[in-house]
Amino acid sequence: MRIIIVDDEMLARGVVREYLSEHADVEVVAECANGFEAVKAITELSPDLVFLDIQMPKLDGFEVAELAGSKTRYIFATAFDQYAIKAFEFHALDYLLKPFSQQRFDQALAHARANMGKNDGAIEQMVREATGRNKPLGRVLIRDGAKVHVINADKIEHVEAQDDYVQIRSEGKSYLKNQRMTELEEQLDPEQFLRIHRSWIVNIAFVDRIEQATKDSYVAILKDASRVPISRSGYQKIRAVIQ
Amino acid sequence: MQEISSTRQGLITYLLVWLFLGCALGGVISVASGTPLVNALLFAIPMNLVYAFESGYSAYYLCRAYPLGSRRAASITLVLSVAALVSGFLWLLIGSLWNSLCLLPGVSWAGIAFTSQLSLLLVGLGTLLYGFAAALHYLVIEFVRAKGAEQRELESLLMAQEAELRMLRTQIDPHFLFNSLNSISALTSQDPKAARRMTLELASFFRQSLGMEAHKKVTLGEEMVLIRHFLAIEQVRFGERLQVVELMGEGAAECLVPPMIIQPLVENAVKHGICNMPEGGTITISAHRAGSILNIRVANPVDEDMSSLRSEGHGIGLTNVRQRLSGAYKHEAGIQWGRHENSFGVDITMPAQTSEQGE
Repeated sequence: MRIIIVDDEMLARGVVREYLSEHADVEVVAECANGFEAVKAITELSPDLVFLDIQMPKLDGFEVAELAGSKTRYIFATAFDQYAIKAFEFHALDYLLKPFSQQRFDQALAHARANMGKNDGAIEQMVREATGRNKPLGRVLIRDGAKVHVINADKIEHVEAQDDYVQIRSEGKSYLKNQRMTELEEQLDPEQFLRIHRSWIVNIAFVDRIEQATKDSYVAILKDASRVPISRSGYQKIRAVIQ
Repeated sequence: MQEISSTRQGLITYLLVWLFLGCALGGVISVASGTPLVNALLFAIPMNLVYAFESGYSAYYLCRAYPLGSRRAASITLVLSVAALVSGFLWLLIGSLWNSLCLLPGVSWAGIAFTSQLSLLLVGLGTLLYGFAAALHYLVIEFVRAKGAEQRELESLLMAQEAELRMLRTQIDPHFLFNSLNSISALTSQDPKAARRMTLELASFFRQSLGMEAHKKVTLGEEMVLIRHFLAIEQVRFGERLQVVELMGEGAAECLVPPMIIQPLVENAVKHGICNMPEGGTITISAHRAGSILNIRVANPVDEDMSSLRSEGHGIGLTNVRQRLSGAYKHEAGIQWGRHENSFGVDITMPAQTSEQGE
């Protein structure tokens, strides 16, 4: 079994390594000290199991699981994150409370091993809830292959729906994220972002002016001169904030 | 009356006032009716001393039964007026009895002529004095109550301070505790000596923080000892990622500060600063004394990607420190915090005291 250990504390990684040495069939393929490394390693090495700490710099455990996907099995660990513990309990996920014993660790490992390959969508659901907890979203995370882009919400100019994806425009670049438009709309700050069309969200700060396109349709002209269509209900919304 | 007679000094003062009133009354009787002064005084002084107790106790119980503010002013006035009038007539009765008693032996220096004018004077004066006694009692009762309230307020303030510190102690981040225990668990097999050092640091940290009392200020030096224990523990966890620089100006370490006022700031600096940086950074703790002012600053680097979003926790701890500072120094102390580019700093300004003043 191929395992990746993710924890920002060296000593904490040491404990896991030590406990794993009791299991002959286990191979530690990578050790990661932060979320970015973890997403990269999980994407590139596709391990069977990831031992994942929740409290980490840059990206926390939830975000790593969200970005790296649920193809692999996770054992989460936390010292005292009440929210996380509740979430693990609720979704019946394998987790460990630090500090943990060899017995407790072996139990979690055996459970993960027995359920290898099963995916009931619990992790997707949990990470979605965890993202929703941080409303309004201050930054949007996008995985591009093994690389993670962190986009500050203030710098998002507009978002366009494209089937199951959303295309996010920021600082002259476009990013594709696997997310539904409505979900992203709910997570963004409603004071800052307006859904002016079924498939468009704009950042109010980047709207330069509104122009009439045809007899009864309008278009928003953004600061970079790009044009975003406005629906009838969207026009009501944007007129309320822009004169 | 209880309040007045509870101290000897109060009782003596009260009786002296009545003695003086008795002399005055005797003087007036003597002048007005041409009675010899001795006869007049022999009549007036005992009369007044008796009245001191009669009106005193009667008015006291009435004042107790009808405390100010609990009933309508009109009903209190009515009750007191009736009581004063009754008391005035009672005094007249006592007066005439006493005078008859004085006349009995038939000596020239005792007894006075009891005119209707004198009767009127006695009733009027008795009513008036009763009114004064009542007013005096209301004053005394209010005074005692105000003093009691002040005392209670002071006690509750002390209790609140104590409770606050207790809360701060228990607020010692559970993350800190469990992560430290996890580090010890790791060290027991990897480096047993380091594990022992860590348990000793933890013990010192908790022993010192649990031994602190809310109203007893500590020197900045002592507070720094606590902080060093705290940082030593965190350094085991974070290793090279956590660097600390201490800049202590001359005379700063001797200044008194409320206990555990800097420690939460350092804890925040680790939790919201270092903890979020993969490469770690340096926490700077500086203190300078400038005359009668003590400046303390705690600064830490923050991750550039970190929006204000995840630093919400900062607010609660800082507000708590601000409240404790204003509780201890009123407007003389201040705290400011802010982020400047990739650095977060908290500045405290407080009076530089080296001894507990007025406490």
